[in-house]
Amino acid sequence: MALTSRAVLVALAGLVPVALLPAPLTVLVWALVVVVLCGVDVALAASPRELAVARRLPTSVRLSGTVDAVLTLRNAGRRTARAVVRDAWPPSTLPGGDDPAGVRTPRHRVDVPPGELRRVTTRLVPTRRGDAVADRVTVRTLGPLGVAGRQASLDVPGRLRVLPEFASRRHLPSRLARLRELDGRAAVQVRGAGTEFDSLREYVDGDDVRSIDWRATARRREVVVRTWRPERDRHVMLVVDTSRTSAARVLDGTRLEASVEAALLLGVLAAHAGDRVELLAYDRRVRARAADSHSSRVLPALAEALAGVQPALVETDWPGLVGQVRSRLSRRALVVLLTSLDPASVEQGLLDVVGGLTRRHQVVLASVADPELEQLRASRRTVDEVFDAAAAERTSLERAAVGMRLRQRGVEVVEATPDELAPRLADTYLALKAAGRL
Amino acid sequence: MSATTATVGEVLGDGSTGRSRAADRWRRGRPWLVVLGVVLVGGLVLTLPAPPVSSTPGAPDNPGASGARAVARVLERQGVTVDHVTTTAAALAAARGDGTVLVVGDQWLVEEQVDALAALDDDLVLVDAGWALSRLAPDVATSGEAVPRTRREASCDDPDAVAAGTLTAAGGYEDLSGAATTCFPAGGGGGAYLVLERDGRRITALSDLHPLTNDAVDEDGHAALALRALGRHDHLVWYVPSLDDMGVVGEPGSGTSLPDLVPWVRPVAAWLVLVLLVTVVWRGRRLGPVVAEPLPVVVRSAEATRGRGRLYRRARAHGHAAAALRAGTAARVAHRLGLPRSADAPSLVDALARATGRRAVDVESLLYGPPPIDDAGLLRLADDLHHLESEVHRP
Repeated sequence: MALTSRAVLVALAGLVPVALLPAPLTVLVWALVVVVLCGVDVALAASPRELAVARRLPTSVRLSGTVDAVLTLRNAGRRTARAVVRDAWPPSTLPGGDDPAGVRTPRHRVDVPPGELRRVTTRLVPTRRGDAVADRVTVRTLGPLGVAGRQASLDVPGRLRVLPEFASRRHLPSRLARLRELDGRAAVQVRGAGTEFDSLREYVDGDDVRSIDWRATARRREVVVRTWRPERDRHVMLVVDTSRTSAARVLDGTRLEASVEAALLLGVLAAHAGDRVELLAYDRRVRARAADSHSSRVLPALAEALAGVQPALVETDWPGLVGQVRSRLSRRALVVLLTSLDPASVEQGLLDVVGGLTRRHQVVLASVADPELEQLRASRRTVDEVFDAAAAERTSLERAAVGMRLRQRGVEVVEATPDELAPRLADTYLALKAAGRL
Repeated sequence: MSATTATVGEVLGDGSTGRSRAADRWRRGRPWLVVLGVVLVGGLVLTLPAPPVSSTPGAPDNPGASGARAVARVLERQGVTVDHVTTTAAALAAARGDGTVLVVGDQWLVEEQVDALAALDDDLVLVDAGWALSRLAPDVATSGEAVPRTRREASCDDPDAVAAGTLTAAGGYEDLSGAATTCFPAGGGGGAYLVLERDGRRITALSDLHPLTNDAVDEDGHAALALRALGRHDHLVWYVPSLDDMGVVGEPGSGTSLPDLVPWVRPVAAWLVLVLLVTVVWRGRRLGPVVAEPLPVVVRSAEATRGRGRLYRRARAHGHAAAALRAGTAARVAHRLGLPRSADAPSLVDALARATGRRAVDVESLLYGPPPIDDAGLLRLADDLHHLESEVHRP
């Protein structure tokens, strides 16, 4: 049973008779009136359990996209259901979910005559990645007087997978153009843009003379150059570190968000370049993995795999991670470690075992740099700020030293702010490909 | 991204029946019913009339050592009706005009109450009420010093006192006018028992409750004195003033408070309580469950660096901070000047001196000089390093 504000109004109206006839009997009689009105209303209300509820929901949505969660109500009873329906979703999926304190789940007022269908729509705008699970659907049916009603919460399962936003896709067209340039579809200007022999063609002005194939030229009586194309069907392994360092917040998002964006851009780019893309999210165990070689299926597979990945407050098990990577790769590959250039974590973990990877594979370490560090370093007006600047200076030096040691072991290090990381990593990939180092 | 739409099969009801819901409600409501029952029973017990036993000193229903139930019982057996009251209003109502009014103690009484008692026609017996007595009879004074409890002889011609013979009591009254009879004097002069006639009524005063208590009534002549003083008439109002009636003389509720002036205030207040109850029920039933959000742990990335800065500050580590600042500047200018990372200090100083036009000695003392020892020195060093850096441009 549930009362409405009208029941309070009815009760308040009782003040008039009670004030006019101030006797205990008046109080008693009007109390009885309120109780009887509510009782009759509850008795005449349709049963909320005779409303059949069906849910229609897209299985997934991109972060900050909009999606409509539709509930279809069918009245299986004999009375018209005057219902208030609430479809409960976590606050972060509702419009305005950035500020969870102020969010109120929308309520729908709907009348369903017997045997008919009605539809109520709750608009969802998810602001957090991962699986959003719908809570119960609550139906409150009111009686004809509208003072009281019945209420039931029905379990109508619903799960919405919120995929990463992939905001870095705006960098994709320019990188794909550069890829096509490399790919020999445009004139190959530089010898060494790949190591695989593609075809012979006539010499045009501007071609590198070193790419002239003298033997073919001798046969054809015209100058012929060899063209090369970048390697295809290489293996790209994206490793997303989900340990405690990925939980740190840089600017507006965690490091992990930047890593996810970078992984998606590089994955799509590599798939377009004809490489086989594999993804591994790891801290002390495998959190997610995906593998696809078909360029059109890579993005959905990666997004799906990365949707549910959240930072875990544990230290990365670097030997375990290296073991995982090696067990999955049978031949030379590009291994991209999306982690943090955290001196403690790298020195005590990665440095010892990275040799196991660099011996066979090209390793790239992509780390999110913190612009706040630069701000701390630059502001030196007061003594307190100078101490902070000194600390920032020390941190920067340590990071640079760790980066240096990694480079000495053959690791390509990319460090950039969260917005810059994805395009910078893509550029690094293109440069490696152009240099034939994959 | 592809977003296929999934439709979940229709859900009808929540698998419960009227019977199962009723059983569920009964199961969940049982503890609350138990609590309600306990509260009701407790309230009922509290509203029951208080047991006819008290622990108030001098009260006729107190069977303890300081009580006076023995005297009251004996008086009743002798045919005296004893009315035990605790407020002035009740005492005034119970007094019939031809009986005795006993007042035990006067520390809770105010002047109006004593005046109201004085206006009665009944005989008055004041026990341990010197202040009230002096208000009734201004000529009577309480003995100055505290007179200790001693055994005393009657030493007067009042028949009650003579019948009693001896008495153990403390304190005493002194009659300054000579109109009253004072008995059982202590060494200092004042008597523990005083009788005076005023307007045709008899006022008896006893300076100590001790002779009336259950503990002592069977000693000396206490019983005789008590029975004779209190049993003079066949009706006795036994008034033990209490905190309840402080300053109130009249009947309770005689029309001064708001509910008495405005007749509908009480019913309306009661009704507002009911409205509040309805509001509580209205707001109490939430439309569905509260949905929790699993929030991740988020720490600012620069937090560790700030912590290190605070450590430097707390330790006043000027040397460490200066070393870090110098190393950072050196690394950057070396990079800008195109020096290899392995370049040693003298070559860096040379290159810097050439690039900035400063003296090599100055550059060296700035980058490799002694560490600053105070805040001012550190600030100056940071400033100088900044200037040096700004003078170096990429060659």
